[in-house]
Amino acid sequence: MDATENRKAIIVGIFLALGLIVFILGVFTLGGQQKSFVKNIKISSVFSDVAGLKKGNNVWFSGVKVGTISEVKFIGPSKVQVFMNVDQATQQYIHRNAGAKVSSDGLIGNKIIVIDGGSPQAPEIQDGDVLQAEKMLSTDDMLKTLQDNNQNLLAITTDFKVLSHKILEGKGTVGALMADSTMAIQLRGAMRNLQAATQSAANMAVQLNNFSAKMNTKGGFADKLLTDTATFNKISQSVAQLQKTAANASTLTENLTKASNKLNTTDNILGVLLNDQKGATQVQTTLNYLQQSSVKLNDDLEAVQHNFLLRGFFKKKAKAKADSLKAQ
Amino acid sequence: MDTAESTTAVKKNSKFKQSLVNFFTDLYKINQFILRFFREAFVPPFEFKEIVRQCFEVGVRSFTLISVTGFIVGVIFTKQSRPSLSEFGAQSWLPSLVSIAIMRALAPLVTALIASGKVGSSIGAELGSMRVTEQIDAMEVSGTKPFKFLVCTRVLATTLTIPILSTYTGLIAILGGFLNVSQNEGTSWSTFIQQVFEPLTFVDFVASLIKSIVFGFTIGIVGCYQGYNSTKGTEGVGKAANGAVVTAMFLVFIEEVIIVQITSWFR
Repeated sequence: MDATENRKAIIVGIFLALGLIVFILGVFTLGGQQKSFVKNIKISSVFSDVAGLKKGNNVWFSGVKVGTISEVKFIGPSKVQVFMNVDQATQQYIHRNAGAKVSSDGLIGNKIIVIDGGSPQAPEIQDGDVLQAEKMLSTDDMLKTLQDNNQNLLAITTDFKVLSHKILEGKGTVGALMADSTMAIQLRGAMRNLQAATQSAANMAVQLNNFSAKMNTKGGFADKLLTDTATFNKISQSVAQLQKTAANASTLTENLTKASNKLNTTDNILGVLLNDQKGATQVQTTLNYLQQSSVKLNDDLEAVQHNFLLRGFFKKKAKAKADSLKAQ
Repeated sequence: MDTAESTTAVKKNSKFKQSLVNFFTDLYKINQFILRFFREAFVPPFEFKEIVRQCFEVGVRSFTLISVTGFIVGVIFTKQSRPSLSEFGAQSWLPSLVSIAIMRALAPLVTALIASGKVGSSIGAELGSMRVTEQIDAMEVSGTKPFKFLVCTRVLATTLTIPILSTYTGLIAILGGFLNVSQNEGTSWSTFIQQVFEPLTFVDFVASLIKSIVFGFTIGIVGCYQGYNSTKGTEGVGKAANGAVVTAMFLVFIEEVIIVQITSWFR
């Protein structure tokens, strides 16, 4: 009897103990998640609208839960102060210029406080600090933007509806293109030409590429031109001389032009000779007369040689010539 | 004819009055019964062996039934909640939903209802049969304190073990929920537990504990009252068992409403 009672007592003891252990484990797990058993610092922020935030909601920092809301209270018209218990271990990462805003953990999730921002230069938060509240993006704001987008979409689709209708009717360039087979063929031809032109351009580009590669060949003329300063100086000098020559040639050409211009006039001898037919005839006549005169003069001079007065002079001259030939 | 009608009306009126009188008399008796429990339960000598025996009967013997029920509740609740959440694409909230439902309401309530049926009826029938067979009278005559030995031990046992059973129910129901969620959503145990505790607060734990204690006390005290005050022979035993179950279940729901209302003030 005693043994049975003892067995029952042990079973009841185990039953109760296990139940208590399960309960206590639950409490500790919950406490761990709620950060109830860690050292906290209390900070706050003042909002104009907390959108249903309530005690017990979570506080996130960089997407990590760092605490919970401990109190929400009014401190004035449109001023709600929200107190937060934040894990002391995260204190070193949160700086005084960080902002706090009301958000939610999902599209339709619970409201939370999100702490973000803050520069490392600013000192870390301390117990009792008040963080600057940032305006939250409310569902109304999102819906308003969505409504604007809807209106824009409606306008676009309306325009497109009109456009597609016109295209179907064959109006406009695109419509004509879709409705008129000739134009399509022409366009196809144009496209073919364009393709050929593109091919040519590609070939040209290849050739240009080859050409530029050759120009870049070490020791080549182009390379020397671009890189060898001595060659460049020589070429510069040559070009300068060429310029000078060209200038002289130009002057010469001008002079020749002037001379030829003068030849075209009759105020000079050559001009008269070239351009004045009457003068030319006279000159021709004069020359004829001169020829006749010289012939007659030649005859006269022949006759003078045989004159007794001058015959001795010519004999002496012929003798001196014969002596010089002998001496050689 | 008028005389007959007036006679019927008078009879109805007197029946109503009698019912009212009986109701308030019962209320007074229950009140006296509860006060007697508090007067005798915490005064030596303590019947530890009997308390342990009753804990065994109430707690350990109900464990299997409670576990199976809790597991089924967890699985069914998860399964039935999924379609509604799926409409929002929020199946990932199933663990949170299951934990809130189980910890705040289902675990204590299901445990209390099962215990009302099993333990309440058992206590009512046991004490009722002892009453109608005059065993209780014999104990009083022999100097043994039947109230302390029979009532206090049973009420203490139910008050102590129902919270423990409720804890087991919660754990097993959550396990059932996990199996279902794991099978359908492929959620890991660590993620599931993380999400189970995410929406819970200490208020939920304390409220659940207080509810279980109150339910346990109610089941014990109602069962004992019905059995201890049973009359009319064997018929009275059945009535006592039935009354213990029905009244306990009814009171459990009433208490549930009141406690939920009170705990909502602390949230």
